[in-house]
Amino acid sequence: MILSTIVTASLALTGAFEGPATEGAPLPAPTPTAEESVLQPISVERAVAFKAKRVFFGDGNHVDDGIVLVQDGVIHSVGADVAVPEGVAIVELDGMLSPGLIASHSYEGLGAEHADSTRPTMPEADIAMAFQPHHVDFAKTLAAGVTSVVLAPSSATLIPGTTAVVKTSGGKVVRRPAQLQVVLSNDALNWNSFPTSHAGAMAELDRLFSEPTGQIARATSGNLPVLLSADDRSDISRAVSFAGRYRLRGAIYGSMWAEDLIDQIAKSGLGVVCNPFDVGEDSRGMRAVVGLAKRGVRLGFGLDAPNRDPENLRFGAALCIRGGLDSKLALKAMCSDAASIAGVERRIGRLERGLDADMVLWSGDPTELTSSVVAVYVDGTLVHGGGE
Amino acid sequence: MMLQLAGALCAIALGTTEPATVESTVIFADAIYTSTGSVIENGAVTVVDGKITAITPGKTPGDDDVHVGAITAGMIDLSARLVRGPDTVEQTQEITPEMRVEHAIDWFDAEWGRQAESGVTTVLLSPQDQNVVSGLSVAVKTAGVPELVKRAVKRDACLRGAMGRQPSNGNHPAFRRPTDFFSRRPTTRMGVEWEWRKAFYDAAQARAAGEEATAGARGILDVLDGKRPLMIQAWATQDIRTAVFFKEEMAMEGFGELTLILDAAAEAWREPELLVRSKAAIILPPLPDFGRADDGAFMALSTAKKLVEAGVPVALSSHGAKADRDRLAMQGALARRGGLSLEEALAAVTITPAQMIGIADRVGSLEVGKDADLALWNGEPFQATSRVVGTVIDGVLLVDPRNQ
Repeated sequence: MILSTIVTASLALTGAFEGPATEGAPLPAPTPTAEESVLQPISVERAVAFKAKRVFFGDGNHVDDGIVLVQDGVIHSVGADVAVPEGVAIVELDGMLSPGLIASHSYEGLGAEHADSTRPTMPEADIAMAFQPHHVDFAKTLAAGVTSVVLAPSSATLIPGTTAVVKTSGGKVVRRPAQLQVVLSNDALNWNSFPTSHAGAMAELDRLFSEPTGQIARATSGNLPVLLSADDRSDISRAVSFAGRYRLRGAIYGSMWAEDLIDQIAKSGLGVVCNPFDVGEDSRGMRAVVGLAKRGVRLGFGLDAPNRDPENLRFGAALCIRGGLDSKLALKAMCSDAASIAGVERRIGRLERGLDADMVLWSGDPTELTSSVVAVYVDGTLVHGGGE
Repeated sequence: MMLQLAGALCAIALGTTEPATVESTVIFADAIYTSTGSVIENGAVTVVDGKITAITPGKTPGDDDVHVGAITAGMIDLSARLVRGPDTVEQTQEITPEMRVEHAIDWFDAEWGRQAESGVTTVLLSPQDQNVVSGLSVAVKTAGVPELVKRAVKRDACLRGAMGRQPSNGNHPAFRRPTDFFSRRPTTRMGVEWEWRKAFYDAAQARAAGEEATAGARGILDVLDGKRPLMIQAWATQDIRTAVFFKEEMAMEGFGELTLILDAAAEAWREPELLVRSKAAIILPPLPDFGRADDGAFMALSTAKKLVEAGVPVALSSHGAKADRDRLAMQGALARRGGLSLEEALAAVTITPAQMIGIADRVGSLEVGKDADLALWNGEPFQATSRVVGTVIDGVLLVDPRNQ
């Protein structure tokens, strides 16, 4: 009874933010359902309540002086007026809580195992079988407040394989396969072996997708999202029409040149995963992100650690905010949007009843680069920093 | 630069059935050349919703109106080669009839704007000719929304291939283990021709045996069944002859009747009776600097004239050359100098190419109901002192002559 009032209370919040509605076809409801399932009544021994100056829910909204009640690694309730049962331990946190950040494209713990160039299409290749879960790459990414990453095979062939969503602490696989990756950029073309041309590449994709089997059949039937790698504008244009032809849902990876195609992308219903940003980046990339966000396109940020410093995730978001992106949408892109693009929105990406208690305590607003990570919790357990 | 003329310019009553909000554009000219055999002096072309709705003689423009020396239909370049580059053709095989160049188009290439500015409003894009049979071509407008479905005038407009030296250029025999796709057949003109016959015989004989056609074979059977023309690049006499003999052999074997378009056929003038016999249509490359074009083919000012005289359908093209002299407006002028009448030269860059690939129901002439693709000239088309000063594509005044 207490619980139901808490949940409804969290809907009417101070500073509530309503993002623009997403255009295009609504996504079919993805798989599992943690929410209404197995939440046990609060047990005084097993539950912990975290109090913070501000709690970001990860969907663009936040509440000041909020409480997150966690039991058995799962969020039990969130809000400003969560009634904590007597006897439950309360941790008073000096800072702001957000969901653990999600990098929408990364390479931790893979070494060179993510790049198989022996054949152009390997739709059954599973990146979850290739990563070393205890690699130091993950500890570094975790320390930057990133609790989950989308591990992707290298975009060097036409269909390099499937991605997986992996937690950076403990190597738990949240979802595999998460997305079928298809490369529509020049990276998939070779000078001395098939395919040498976009014409040849698309003929092969048409052959595979018109009579689909295995993971490709799951993609064409809407059960597996796609990640369509695209570099330049013609790649993006090709990705949009390819997704439309086979009714694929998912996202485009590559935002640098999307500015001139915002309308087509918005209408396609595809999300967009941004390439990692660098210092001194051309403002074109930022304008694309701002324009896409205004049209309600779901966004995620790529990280590509260990090739880049894990702090680069928040840095890219900050650059986009500097270019005009609403900071609430920037945080949303690293939380609930990223989870939705990878098909794990019922597990992670928001501080919400029933989802994994993956949280980061920040010294201030996580979208400000002056804020730093104070503590990281994964499945309700302190895994980095803290010091209590 | 994109400027849609507002309804304010509309000076013509369109009838009571037209909703008042429909935007119309009226363009006035001293002469309107329709490509249907008529010239309308001191007239106006009215455009509503991307289509030509009226061509009216005896109209007087106001001070703010668009008024030019001449209006023709937008020009059509069947060998624009706007998508060049190796990523347009799948070089790992010789015969790729199922592959579509439409997937290799870069809609943001700056050349689109230059084509439109030069009065070319529709282009046929084909794969680069490294392969023997390289794939399916697509006809598109040179301006508009950067999306295939919106820009396409006709998809799979023809099947493209090549005779001559280009498909074998750079190939070499494999002495030991093949190291790359250049160690492959063919290395000679004979080898190229053999690949053509093998592909077509295989497809036709498999069908005769009741086998299900592969994707590639379907592409070949479609041209044998006359569903679309077969466009073959053939510069020199021997290659033109090979193409014609190939067509006749297919007919003789009972495989089917090919509709032949020969692209870059610089030496078509040598044996025009062969072309008349085979009903082949000809696309001429731009006039070469010193008489010699690719593959050593010789072409003169009078080439177009000779072919038209013989009754061969002729289209002029830039063959991808980007200098101003190689674009269609100037090629028309050179063909005029070589003896074509104004009407013949105009047909060779408008209605004849449209008919060759079956898009004359939409483009290629100025007629009510057709797409409003117009080239606006400052004087009589193809005169040495005339140039294109404005372009309308799908009713949009893309290049405004008042700014020129």
